[in-house]
Amino acid sequence: MTDFDQVNFLMGTPELIQDPTPYYEHLRTKCPVHQVEALGGVFAVTGHEELLTIMRDTVHYSSANCLAGMFPPLDAPADADDLGPYIEAARASVPPELAPIANLLVSLDPPVHTDQRHLLKRVLSPKRLAENEEYMGGLAHRLIDEFIERGSCDVMHDFAWPFTTLIIADLLGVPEEDRQLFREKANLGNTPLELLGQDGEFPLAFIEDYFTAYIEDRRANPRDDFLTILADARYADDSVPDPRTVATLASFMFAAAGDTTSGLICAATRVLCEEPGLQDRLRADPDRIADFIEETLRLEGTTKSTFRMARRHAEVDGTDIPIGSSVMLLLNAANRDPRRFENPNVFDLDRPNSREHVAFGRGPHACAGAPLARTEARVAFRTFLERMSDIRLSDEHHGPAGDRRFEYEYSSVLRKLLHVHITFGAR
Amino acid sequence: MSKRLVVDRTLCDTQAMCVSIAPDHFAVDDDDETMQILIERPAAADLERVERAVRACPKGALSLVDD
Repeated sequence: MTDFDQVNFLMGTPELIQDPTPYYEHLRTKCPVHQVEALGGVFAVTGHEELLTIMRDTVHYSSANCLAGMFPPLDAPADADDLGPYIEAARASVPPELAPIANLLVSLDPPVHTDQRHLLKRVLSPKRLAENEEYMGGLAHRLIDEFIERGSCDVMHDFAWPFTTLIIADLLGVPEEDRQLFREKANLGNTPLELLGQDGEFPLAFIEDYFTAYIEDRRANPRDDFLTILADARYADDSVPDPRTVATLASFMFAAAGDTTSGLICAATRVLCEEPGLQDRLRADPDRIADFIEETLRLEGTTKSTFRMARRHAEVDGTDIPIGSSVMLLLNAANRDPRRFENPNVFDLDRPNSREHVAFGRGPHACAGAPLARTEARVAFRTFLERMSDIRLSDEHHGPAGDRRFEYEYSSVLRKLLHVHITFGAR
Repeated sequence: MSKRLVVDRTLCDTQAMCVSIAPDHFAVDDDDETMQILIERPAAADLERVERAVRACPKGALSLVDD
């Protein structure tokens, strides 16, 4: 019997990678905000209300350590009452090869964070997303065309990964002739180590260089294309950003959107196959696909943890959080908080408040791509249900019903299925 | 004293969750792609729904202030 007090959730165990829910429930018996000795005194948050409070509060909490709690040590005096200036100093003084990690959008704090989020607005505006949705529908069909005759596929490899990557390429205005290159090169990881790449080669560097060149070109030679609109993006005060800053944001979108959205499509495929009667229900009433996606986000969101650092002395729900403390926000645990969600571990298509989930985070860092992810998932499943009948998990790959095997990425940040093998009939 | 809707423009990124819950109080303008508050002071009968819309904003850009 696992002693959950001794488990290092960040290192992971095979059992918790398969299903972290027992660990969340153990922490929940302690307190919505609980200091975990086995993690060196990190404060683990499993409560929905408490998580909302922390994510909305950039006065007390910095996002500098958001990726797995990692951030260089701060050079701050013992009596400091705000670590903000020391965090910014640490960002500025990381070695050049680590600079992209220390300045990822997710880890920035206001005011720089606010400025950079402003640059994303035209990329993810309702109008731009509507244009992109037209492309999505055609792409979904084309990807399915490639495997429909086989009667089987691996949803991650054959659909979700190319779907999400090519959609971002389209959204950002990558010319058609370069799209295949993106499909090959944009195979990015999600942890600081993966983003750094093998042998110190930064996988995002290719995309950054690519977009920097295009932005410089379009500023000099405007065309009637989205790359020109991207090149024209200005800060809220109308000042002009450095081309590399815009290029870095564009490359960040590949990192941010690939694993997460493809993970969502795979998680939802698993739910679609395992929930009795769900396929028939959704075929009869495709308007309910949106609710299916929301409940999947609630139960199986891809980003299961994110971190904050207390930049000032803080307090949540009666628990003191000393300045400098690391706070681990367990999004998937908060999504199963029985104080917010009745019968929280049950998939319920008719759950009235499924949209209160925090799978996309909340507050200033709330996922800017959430509308995109939702649309992608909706289009994917609308098309799956149109083209494929009797969608089932492959017994050959996942074992028999009642004794299924799934392979999840070994990560404390992501809850991501590596493959979902299905069989189906062609409609 | 009544409740007035306020939006923090540095946070709003037109995800439009508010529009989906209370389309009579919030809309996204097609041309300048910003969220518009259509009714600044919601009627008492609408307050519960508008409060839900405010809470639904993922960025926390909306608030109802007493004035």
